[in-house]
Amino acid sequence: MKFRLIFSVLGFLLVLFIAIPILKLLISTNPDVLMETAKETEVYSSIFLTLRASLWATLAALFTGVPLAHFLARKRFRGKKIIEGIIDLPVIIPHTAAGIALLTVWGRNSLFFRVSGFNVMGTEVAVSLGMFFVSVPFLVNSVKEGFKLIDERFEKTAVTLGASRWKAFLTVSLPMVKKPLISGAIMMWGRGISEFGAVVILAYHPMTAPVLIFERFQNFGLKYALPVTALLVLISLAVFIIVRVFEDK
Amino acid sequence: MSIQLRQVCKNFDGFSLHQVSLDIEPGDYFVILGPSGAGKTLILELLAGLLTPDSGEISGVTPGSIGFIYQDYMLFPHLNVSENVGYGLKIRKTGKEKTAQIVQNLLERNGIAHLADREIANLSGGEKQRVAIARAMAISPRLLLLDEPTAALDRSARINTRATFIDLHRQTGATFIHVTHDFEEALALADKIAVLMDGRIVQWGKPEKVFNNPANKNVADFLGYRNVFGGPVKDGLLHLNGVSVAVPLEQSKLAYIAIRSDDIIISKEEIESSARNSLFGRVKKCIYKSSGVEVILDVGVDLAVDITRKSCREMAVCPGVPLWATFKVSSIKVFEH
Repeated sequence: MKFRLIFSVLGFLLVLFIAIPILKLLISTNPDVLMETAKETEVYSSIFLTLRASLWATLAALFTGVPLAHFLARKRFRGKKIIEGIIDLPVIIPHTAAGIALLTVWGRNSLFFRVSGFNVMGTEVAVSLGMFFVSVPFLVNSVKEGFKLIDERFEKTAVTLGASRWKAFLTVSLPMVKKPLISGAIMMWGRGISEFGAVVILAYHPMTAPVLIFERFQNFGLKYALPVTALLVLISLAVFIIVRVFEDK
Repeated sequence: MSIQLRQVCKNFDGFSLHQVSLDIEPGDYFVILGPSGAGKTLILELLAGLLTPDSGEISGVTPGSIGFIYQDYMLFPHLNVSENVGYGLKIRKTGKEKTAQIVQNLLERNGIAHLADREIANLSGGEKQRVAIARAMAISPRLLLLDEPTAALDRSARINTRATFIDLHRQTGATFIHVTHDFEEALALADKIAVLMDGRIVQWGKPEKVFNNPANKNVADFLGYRNVFGGPVKDGLLHLNGVSVAVPLEQSKLAYIAIRSDDIIISKEEIESSARNSLFGRVKKCIYKSSGVEVILDVGVDLAVDITRKSCREMAVCPGVPLWATFKVSSIKVFEH
């Protein structure tokens, strides 16, 4: 009984630590002002841009990150730890540093620009690139752990029943990692939405919601930053609850 | 066309096969017998084309007509029973109606029609096995590979499963290659067996022949010979811990001998007979088994002797009782040291 009580209290303290600032944020925003803010073109377009750009990043990661996760879960090879370290790196380094690193590859002085002539900086693509870079470890690691839990002999059985390796992957392995896949994708999408550091360096405009919040706070103070912040939090919360409910079904 | 493995070598995941050569006739029930870690599953995965040999050759296997049943069945947990059974047919793009008909037929034949819509997680061990068999049979395989399919079952289920495989083999006429570490299972099922140890085929042939003539000391140990001893032989006698045993070997050298526990007779008095070995000792312990009683007799070394429960009772065999053990020289197998 005592054991449960102590664990409940400790856990509850953690929930409060996260919930109180969020609740404070929401209740200190006047609902009328919130509605007005939501109608501002600058606000809703920045929120949509944030959700959309993070979605592109997540979709791109599904096509590249899932094969990588499968490879890392299945194969033992020299240098595997290095590859895994590289994948984890974006979580550890300051995201402004990530933005600057990306600038050297995609910016105006980069080989990419000289070859393609396409200036990525200041576009929605740049926003997605920044989000992809910092949030892809969440997807790769989640799916990798999922694949690790699945016995390789499931795929082998499918092959003996006549499936090609591709078909075995698509009809057996992939459905079996559905949960970690969805969960990793949600985490990646969410992490992308919240990204500020890398995005602000790659694209101050078009303005994502975190950049807009920063700008309003910087130029007009807390009072003007609050409604946008509350709005982004509310929308994120709603989206996450809906997706989690959907995920359980 | 027979299945042939010629000098197959493979290193994989800490297991290795060395120069494995086998001939398996079409329609044979072939058992590969070996302790765990010997590389048995590796042979099956090579035969199924899931792995390729590092060197050597495998012929006579048609890809796509192979059923493979793993020890833990590997039923796809995201599909229900019918979907599992129909998986191979769906892959082959068999029409929906035909698939449903074949699946229904297989479910009925395996006594699991009532489980058609059941989730895999809600099946018992025996039910899972029947689903695995139905799934493998759905593609009408000409070769069925069985990877220790009874290892996870209790004794009675294991015996029932053996009967199932014998029936299945008879009905389908397919070639069965079954790997196991259980020599009783091998004896019950096999037309031919191969003994695999440390990645090498050490012996193969008809089961009785292999069981009666183990190729070396390790095979004898593995095949359940309870009395395996090693020591110096001189003048036709093996000297063991102060005991001398007459053996069928003339040269003087170090050797191993093996005696089956049912080739030894025990008696209260020394028997006058043509058998050249009569050893005196006291009963150390009696081990009760389903087949009878194993008496451990201390004659200087521990000798295991199988007797029936009736003999045990009538002779009042119990620890401490003095007895004679008698066995013929011809019942002794001799191996190089």
